[in-house]
Amino acid sequence: MVVQGDSSAPLQSRAMSSAATTSPSVDKVDGFSRKSVRKAKQKRSQSSSQFRSQGKPIELTPLPLLKDVPAPEQPELFLKKLQQCCTVFDFMDTLSDLKMKEYKRSTLNELVDYVTVSRGYLTEQAYPDVVKMVSHNIFRTLPPSDSNEFDPEEDEPTLEASWPHLQLVYEFFIRFLESQEFQPSIAKKYIDQKFVLQLLELFDSEDPRERDYLKTVLHRIYGKFLGLRAFIRKQINNIFLRFVYETEHFNGVAELLEILGSIINGFALPLKAEHKQFLVKVLIPLHTVRSLSLFHAQLAYCIVQFLEKDPTLTEPVIRGLLKFWPKTCSQKEVMFLGELEEILDVIEPTQFVKIQEPLFKQISRCVSSPHFQVAERALYYWNNEYIMSLIEENSSVILPIMFASLYRISKEHWNPAIVALVYNVLKAFMEMNSTLFDELTATYKSDRQREKKKEKEREELWKKLEDLELKRGLRSDGIIPT
Amino acid sequence: MDAYKLMKELRVNYEQEVFYLPKETGLVLIESSTRDESRISAKCRDVQVEDLWSLTSFFGYSTQTFVLAVNLLDRFLALMRIQPKHLSCVSLSCLHMAAKVTEEECDVTSSDELIRIGQARFTASDLCRMEKIVSEKLDFKSKPITALTFLQLYHQIALSHSMDRKETLSLEKLEAQLKACLCRISFSKAKPSVLALSLLRLQIIAVQSEDMLEIASHIQRHLKIADGELRLWSERVAQCLSDYASPECSKPNHRKLQWIVSRRTAQNLHASRSVPELPTIPEGGWGESESEDSCEDVMSSGEESLSSSLGSDAEGPYFPLHYRQQRDRGHLLA
Repeated sequence: MVVQGDSSAPLQSRAMSSAATTSPSVDKVDGFSRKSVRKAKQKRSQSSSQFRSQGKPIELTPLPLLKDVPAPEQPELFLKKLQQCCTVFDFMDTLSDLKMKEYKRSTLNELVDYVTVSRGYLTEQAYPDVVKMVSHNIFRTLPPSDSNEFDPEEDEPTLEASWPHLQLVYEFFIRFLESQEFQPSIAKKYIDQKFVLQLLELFDSEDPRERDYLKTVLHRIYGKFLGLRAFIRKQINNIFLRFVYETEHFNGVAELLEILGSIINGFALPLKAEHKQFLVKVLIPLHTVRSLSLFHAQLAYCIVQFLEKDPTLTEPVIRGLLKFWPKTCSQKEVMFLGELEEILDVIEPTQFVKIQEPLFKQISRCVSSPHFQVAERALYYWNNEYIMSLIEENSSVILPIMFASLYRISKEHWNPAIVALVYNVLKAFMEMNSTLFDELTATYKSDRQREKKKEKEREELWKKLEDLELKRGLRSDGIIPT
Repeated sequence: MDAYKLMKELRVNYEQEVFYLPKETGLVLIESSTRDESRISAKCRDVQVEDLWSLTSFFGYSTQTFVLAVNLLDRFLALMRIQPKHLSCVSLSCLHMAAKVTEEECDVTSSDELIRIGQARFTASDLCRMEKIVSEKLDFKSKPITALTFLQLYHQIALSHSMDRKETLSLEKLEAQLKACLCRISFSKAKPSVLALSLLRLQIIAVQSEDMLEIASHIQRHLKIADGELRLWSERVAQCLSDYASPECSKPNHRKLQWIVSRRTAQNLHASRSVPELPTIPEGGWGESESEDSCEDVMSSGEESLSSSLGSDAEGPYFPLHYRQQRDRGHLLA
């Protein structure tokens, strides 16, 4: 007997041994790789939660090949083979049922080909059987994470042991969905919300190959089943919100974001309020997660797509990013700067004017960061032609904001490469607006001189006090009072 | 210094200034030369001087250093015919020399740093050699008399005559304007005393001070500067200053600047923007109403079901539009 993991409550199938907010230690970001200090880890690459009790070996009666059977009989044979493939094997035990495992594998292979090339095989009876076979194979409780400290950025993922079969099942399902004969109106009876829910849970799999297939599957389902779309979007929201605010653990964020990217790309204008809510309440907060590097590229893509659809969203987006600007993680800061540049690449000049002040105040801080990568990334904005043109148009506002930190770091920064870049930026500003630049230089210089003067006066005062103290002490009896 | 002494010093400088003028024929030659690989053109020189200005500003050098550097540069260029590829070496050596005599030792930037920031292609020893050459050719021993010398003197004189006007006549502003003028080679043909006086007069006119205008005329008479000459240069200066002060921003010239970034940042930048592999799914129109899905009854209880509550009576395009829209709005994110 094979036990299947089944879940009625959503998204609680992963057996977590502890809360997800454990490690990673601070020394892993900001350049110091944990790999360099960790001891050799025991190699344990595979896992599976499909198990069965020790029982009789599985026996499947071999069926003839589909191509060897006349066309009218093929649909029925197809169903029989589907039925056979519902049997699930235990791959953790590498020695058991080898012959049968191979038989199932070749059957699955055959089914994949059959679905791809055949015509007229898809009877109405096929639909529930296909869905049943797929469900039996893929829906399972995912195995718990090997160690509490699995860090997606550093460690090797645990791969699914039954992949030889699983991969073919996914392959088969995708071709089934993409088949010319596929009819969503029939399929929707079997591919329903419950199915989708279980599918979404699988996105938490550690195996990236599986997630890749799931991504394609969900993408096709979203495309073909109009009635499921709102549900899917809502469930994804739930996943993300839980991820951000409760667990900070979910392996499939990047894949889900990729799907969302293709959805956002297809939004009709004007954008529905629901979508705008999604942007502000879900996508922006996603930036706060520690493991941002795993899905940042996809997240940035989504954000930029939104802004290309509706430029009026620029202001809330940028203000949101500024609000969540990383304060202690430089690696994240560099990512944010990259994303910001992508946003600025598509920004409209009218929108730019609205947020330029808070934006450049933050850039000014980044530019003076002692972390050279942050400073470098921020300074490189001045090599972007479009951004430069925006800055030129508004130099009278931007230059005063940037000036003080630029001038200061040109004298004080430890990294010579940064100093050279600052020269480029200052030179650009000088050429842009000479009068303003001269004014600011003069003000800065006089401020500095005033400060120096005060400093000097303070020192002299202290010196005078010292002398006074000594004089007083020595006057009477040569003993300095304590 | 009292007024009498100031005027005397003025006189002395006036007599000396001619020794520090760049050779006029040389300047004319530069101005007239066309875009040519073998000759320096006016544009070349002007661009170079602008770079010098940037560097002066960047290193925190004083205006004196800048004016001195330009003076050396112009005099050298007027004397010697050099190839355009050597121009940056010449100009940087002039700057370095000027800094060494004007700034405090601790503030002088090293040759290596100068070359690195200036993004120059020659070495420190090249720079050193060039400095020697310039120094020899120009017989550079003492500080030349430049327009700045006169400007400072004029300013002092003006102030000594009317103490309460300190605020209005700003030396810094005059210096900035002088820098702007020096960026054009044509102004190197003017006598420094005349150039400075033109600047002074223009600012006095701008602040509308009658008695200072008196003082300016007094200076003019004292130095016996011709009306015509003063008028000529005043016009040109006015033109230049109006360009300088215009609110229009000139587009910065990126052509030369090198943007050298570290390997990690370069990798970061070149990381391809993720090209989406998944084809776009267009958002349907009405076909996408969530009420179309009639699988609500399949949902297990306890599951928050939004769309399922709509039931099957909201289906179909025959349902009134406003009702559908209401349903749409009712569907909010959790």
